[in-house]
Amino acid sequence: MTEPAALNVVVDMIRDTLSLSGREGEKVSSDTLLFYHLAFTSMDLLDLLFRVEQHFDIAIPDGTLYGLARGEMPDAEFATDSVLSAAGKARLMALLNDTPAELFPERIHAASLPRFCTVGAIARLVDARLAAREPCSS
Amino acid sequence: MFELIRTLRIDAHAGGAVGEAAVPADHPMFADHFPGVPLLPGSFLLELAAQAAGPLCEEVTALRFGLERGAVLAMVRRAVFLRPCFLPATVRLTAHVRHADSARMIAAVVAAVGDAIVLRAELVMAMIDVPPEWSRVLEGRHERLARWNSAT
Repeated sequence: MTEPAALNVVVDMIRDTLSLSGREGEKVSSDTLLFYHLAFTSMDLLDLLFRVEQHFDIAIPDGTLYGLARGEMPDAEFATDSVLSAAGKARLMALLNDTPAELFPERIHAASLPRFCTVGAIARLVDARLAAREPCSS
Repeated sequence: MFELIRTLRIDAHAGGAVGEAAVPADHPMFADHFPGVPLLPGSFLLELAAQAAGPLCEEVTALRFGLERGAVLAMVRRAVFLRPCFLPATVRLTAHVRHADSARMIAAVVAAVGDAIVLRAELVMAMIDVPPEWSRVLEGRHERLARWNSAT
């Protein structure tokens, strides 16, 4: 479950990014797609992730999204030559379940996975990292 | 937003593109790089190279294979940073397609400030399908390329 605090912080950071090009008034919510609705560049995403890492004191290394989508599935079943298999695509779509299904093309290259992320997906990524950092107390 | 390219002219038949990016000294994204000595980070220089190579690869894919695909930087195959790029700077970008197939392209990019080359790189661009539902993104891309092409 996403903590509202994480989502709110991510939304504020995205608003900061948009303000660099005078787009302060643009709507940003959990289901906003970074590349689709906000025309993010890969450098905008990288900058956002750096700031998220700093703020929450977590690490989101390259390939995190790929790893989360793959889960326990063997790499050879998940993708071939960096292109997701049908099973790999299904796992990605399950992970990014707030992204409209029709936005996923038939052929998905591993380098393009962040393009399908919503703001909410980034917040969930933060939550997953925070949960991994803090062991559950019973 | 990180959009610093001002001009980009693509010759898909020749497999080449030439563009210019205006990089200010006070861009918030690299405010701490470094205080008092603004220097363009290498990663940003590579992003500029990819922003020039990407549209070139898309145009070449359309011309040679009749496919409208989007270019995504898949790998930096080689990057040699020859000089620091002090800011503000106008960075001239020259890109050429070295290898082309419908799924993957390799582009060589040279970035220069004045007469000094600051970067030589080879970028592998994955050419990805663009579903019709992404039409608003394609429209934005066409608008941006038209703006970059018409700027003087």
